[in-house]
Amino acid sequence: MKGLHFNIHTKIIAGYLFILICLVVSLLIVMNRMSALQEEVDFISQHDIEVHNLANQIQKNVIDMETGMRGYVITGNEEYLEPYHIASRNWLDNYSKLHSLLADKGTQQRNLEEIKPLIMNYITSSAEYAVNQKKIGNQTVLDDFFKNNKGKKRTDELRAHFVSFLQHQTNLTNQRVEQLSQNNNNLKMTLYAIILVVTLITIATAVYLSNSIVKTIKQVIWTIKGITDSKESGVDLATRIEVNTHDETRELAEAMNELLSNLEKQNWIQKNMAEISTMYQGMTDLTELTHAFITKLAPMFEAVYGVVYLRRNQGSEVRYVKEAGYAIAGEESAGASFRLGEGLIGQAALDKRIFLIDQLPEEHFKVTSGLGDSSPRNLLIAPILVDGRVEAVVEFAAFQPFMAQHLTLLDLLQDKFGSAITNVAGRMEVERLLGESQVLTEELQAQSEELQAQSEELQMQQEQLRITNEYLEEQRQFAEQRAFELKKAKDELEDYSRKLQMSSQYKTDFLANMSHELRTPLNSILILSQMLMENDGEMDESEVKESSRVVYTAGSDLLRLIDDILDLSKIEAGKIEILTDDMNVTEIPQMMKSMFEPIAAKKNLTFEVLTASNVPNVITTDGQRLQQIWKNLLSNAFKFTEQGSVTVRIELAKPEKVQELLPGLDEEEMVLEISVTDTGIGIAQEKQQIIFDAFQQVDGTTNRQYGGTGLGLSICREFTRLLGGAITVESEPDKGSTFTLYVPGRQEAAEYHLLEQLALNEAAVSISTEEQESAIEETEIEVVEAEASDNQLFRGKKVLLVEDDRRNVFALVTALEKKGVKVQVAENGRRAIEFLQEQADFDLVFMDIMMPVMGGYEAMKAIRHDLKMDRLPIIALTAKAMKGERDKCMEAGASDYIMKPLNINQLFSLMRVWLTEQVNED
Amino acid sequence: MNEATNEMVTDIELQEPNELQEIEIKLLLEGLYQMYGYDFRSYVRGSIGRRILNRMKAERLPTITALLEKVFHEPGVLERLLNDFSIRMTEMYRDPSFFAAFRNEVVPLLRELPEIRIWHAGCATGEEVYSMAILLQEEGLMERAKIYATDMNEKALKAAKKGAFPLKKMQQYTKNYLKAGGKKAFSEYYNTDHQFAYFSPSLNEKLTFAQHNLVSDSSFNEFHVILCRNVMIYFDNALQQQVHSLFYDSLADGGFIGLGSKESMLGLPKGMKYAEFNPSEKIYRKK
Repeated sequence: MKGLHFNIHTKIIAGYLFILICLVVSLLIVMNRMSALQEEVDFISQHDIEVHNLANQIQKNVIDMETGMRGYVITGNEEYLEPYHIASRNWLDNYSKLHSLLADKGTQQRNLEEIKPLIMNYITSSAEYAVNQKKIGNQTVLDDFFKNNKGKKRTDELRAHFVSFLQHQTNLTNQRVEQLSQNNNNLKMTLYAIILVVTLITIATAVYLSNSIVKTIKQVIWTIKGITDSKESGVDLATRIEVNTHDETRELAEAMNELLSNLEKQNWIQKNMAEISTMYQGMTDLTELTHAFITKLAPMFEAVYGVVYLRRNQGSEVRYVKEAGYAIAGEESAGASFRLGEGLIGQAALDKRIFLIDQLPEEHFKVTSGLGDSSPRNLLIAPILVDGRVEAVVEFAAFQPFMAQHLTLLDLLQDKFGSAITNVAGRMEVERLLGESQVLTEELQAQSEELQAQSEELQMQQEQLRITNEYLEEQRQFAEQRAFELKKAKDELEDYSRKLQMSSQYKTDFLANMSHELRTPLNSILILSQMLMENDGEMDESEVKESSRVVYTAGSDLLRLIDDILDLSKIEAGKIEILTDDMNVTEIPQMMKSMFEPIAAKKNLTFEVLTASNVPNVITTDGQRLQQIWKNLLSNAFKFTEQGSVTVRIELAKPEKVQELLPGLDEEEMVLEISVTDTGIGIAQEKQQIIFDAFQQVDGTTNRQYGGTGLGLSICREFTRLLGGAITVESEPDKGSTFTLYVPGRQEAAEYHLLEQLALNEAAVSISTEEQESAIEETEIEVVEAEASDNQLFRGKKVLLVEDDRRNVFALVTALEKKGVKVQVAENGRRAIEFLQEQADFDLVFMDIMMPVMGGYEAMKAIRHDLKMDRLPIIALTAKAMKGERDKCMEAGASDYIMKPLNINQLFSLMRVWLTEQVNED
Repeated sequence: MNEATNEMVTDIELQEPNELQEIEIKLLLEGLYQMYGYDFRSYVRGSIGRRILNRMKAERLPTITALLEKVFHEPGVLERLLNDFSIRMTEMYRDPSFFAAFRNEVVPLLRELPEIRIWHAGCATGEEVYSMAILLQEEGLMERAKIYATDMNEKALKAAKKGAFPLKKMQQYTKNYLKAGGKKAFSEYYNTDHQFAYFSPSLNEKLTFAQHNLVSDSSFNEFHVILCRNVMIYFDNALQQQVHSLFYDSLADGGFIGLGSKESMLGLPKGMKYAEFNPSEKIYRKK
């Protein structure tokens, strides 16, 4: 192709030369034509003029001869013959010349040839004749001759020939001139044609040249544009510029193509590198990594076989162990491992250089497929270096030779692959270590659980041991105390028997009273009713009336007695219902008056009801029960008073009195005080404590005198207690007694429900206990034991109740004391802290939150932080509605919390939890 | 009184078995399996070995072989040994932060389900089961929930059914409950006598207790939550993987699994995809 190399330079020069040649050729043609024209012109100017001249010369010669001859003839002077002779000598010359000039013109020659004989004839027959005649002097002949005019005829004929000859010659010349003019025109036309042709040729050359240059350049530009504009992959490097010319553009295109090829290779390398690099991400396993690497790389290299060997430290020895393969026929076909320097693999690792081997012998190894096997002839072994250490060696085999870009890619990948190997290996190591540590952690956890289990078991055993010891100790003490106790028991027994005697005395007395009380009215009823039954008219109407009245009175007494007994038994059973409502205090005096005024009048006693001005009109309590109480008190007063007065005072209780009698109540709490003072028989000091007990009267004989069952005051006291109040007595025998009733003005139903619930719970417990007792003999003991343990849990425990609401205090204290818990009440946080500072042996603290002086949160924080009582269980009492309170309580250091209104079961459950000693406490 | 507890353990110790004992342990475990079908062969050797040694001492026996003989021929010994094997420390709201995370992060997702099935695998005496029941009740999910609590130990299950936990631990449980974000007063859920706190029978309604052996039994339902805390720490790696497969197959897509605080998903067999829902509390979610 080089031989046909036309570069643009040549092309342009050739173009110009071509045009130049065209111009020169056309110029030559024109010049040629012009010289031809000139020749013709010359021919015309010389030949024709010569012809004319010669013809004229010949004509002149003839004329000269004529003239000479005539002169001579006339004169006979020889001188005249001179011109004649010259002419007769010359004309033939002239003729010959003319003849030769006309050699190419046949007609004119023939015309000339026609003239020659005429001249010859003239000379011989005319001129010569005449001269000769003269010479001889033959005048006659001459005269004759002239007379005949023969000569003249010949010259005329000659002249005519000449004229025609010249005419013909002129015609010829004219013809020639015309021809010349024609030629001239032709030349012009030719010139125009040449100019046109040259112009066309020039344009064509220019167009061809510019096209051939611009087209290829444009082609290159388009191709490049096409490459850069290719949308799909940014740059389509696979496209090549195609050029059909063989000029510099082609060189440019070829250079460009070479650049593209380079770029494509680069791109191939980078793309594959990126592909392989991204492939590493997320790999956690070396086999997986190397396998992916070789599987990816082998097709890129067009290799048909590939192996990766990884560096392994086996003791002090470094080996390269096969980790992954590509198209390996069998395990044995690739060496499992190599030492440093062993085989090419080991050598590559040792030398840290790439081995590129072609022209492998066929028997080196074979790549097998289903259809057969063949031997790759090219081998590439490359070490993978990381920080100067060969981490792996890869080997590829291919049918085609490996290319530069393969090596470049491998070289570039080396770092990445190497670091991937170390990373993954590191990760695997970390994972392995993590796994190991996980196993250790779990083992540790298992051990700690076992330890915990064992320690718990140990603790349990110690507990049992302690219990056993305690039991033994108790046994010992019991044995020691036995004698003492036996003695004491004896004393007690005596005491008991005495008490029993007394109590049986009371019972006997009571029963006696009862029977007496029951019998007396019954007796009169029976007797009188019998009398009335047997009355056959002997009784008059007044007697019948009297008897009926007595029967009625006796029945009423009986009814009252039965009511009392029922009331008391109901109270004892806790079945009295308290119905609180607003009660009008101002009505009380009126009611008292209307009820007892008649009795007072009958017994001639002064009866006064005094109401203090500060007594509120309305209080909230159970009016029915209150009425029963004061009715009882007044009945007693009137019963035991024979003379003097009975005075009732209704006023507000003094705070100090309330504080003394009703400690559970608030100081500001309004308490109604109703005192009944009589001037009756009075009660001895020692009897004052027992008069409220059931079945007790001052002594068994009292009622003989005054009647009554002795149940009244018991009922009064129970009712008062139910109303949250108290009752006191001041008395001096024979001077009179004052019973004072204190009733809180604001009765809260809740407290009573709680109390009722308490009573009910206990009833339930006793019932279930009974049931169990009756059900299984064995569990009876357990239940008893359980109850005992439960009581053990509560009994004697010290609880600090921090609460400012007296009603709550009352309710809680009542409930807790029933369980045998010692309760200390603090009305605010500050007091609580003071108590705790004084005595640190509290088992539990109940802490209200909203309190004056110092609230619950503050108090708990102080207990935990200032007093450092971290173990002391503090139970916060919170209001149910407050959501954030729980967190605040915990933050402040509460151990647990319970919500108001309190559920007594829940309270006890919770207390059991917090009073029980814990295992495994830190 | 349990006979086993009568013998005093003089000191807490974790004695490792020697080589001969290792063989004896192997024999004993194989014997248990062959004779009674109890398969403890895949339990972590160290732990099971120590328990066997403890039992051996407690029975006042000189060798494990002697223990094996007793296990085969003396009634009661097998039960005691099995009981030793299944000792599992458990508490109510153990690792309170786990339950707090469960309440705050998992419960909102459970809310969307029409029915919630929870499996407590290896529930032991049921402390965590009741904890979960209370939690769900407070979150208003108990109506829709059903909790399956399984353990291989019948004795433990019997105790779990009772829902009675010793008072001696209740203070800790109360603390845990509060730390785990309990919304009410803990005392609202129990009644007490002098020994135990009895959890409200209403909690028991949605609980199903059943005997199930993770080693040999297969899945019995598809669950939304599986809790298996501090159970697999006693298993060797192969058994852990086996149990993991069982759980994976039993878990609904997007279901949760909760593990013990020291456990991890490291030994997870390939192909099981869990998202780390709350890795610090060991709550994982099936992908």
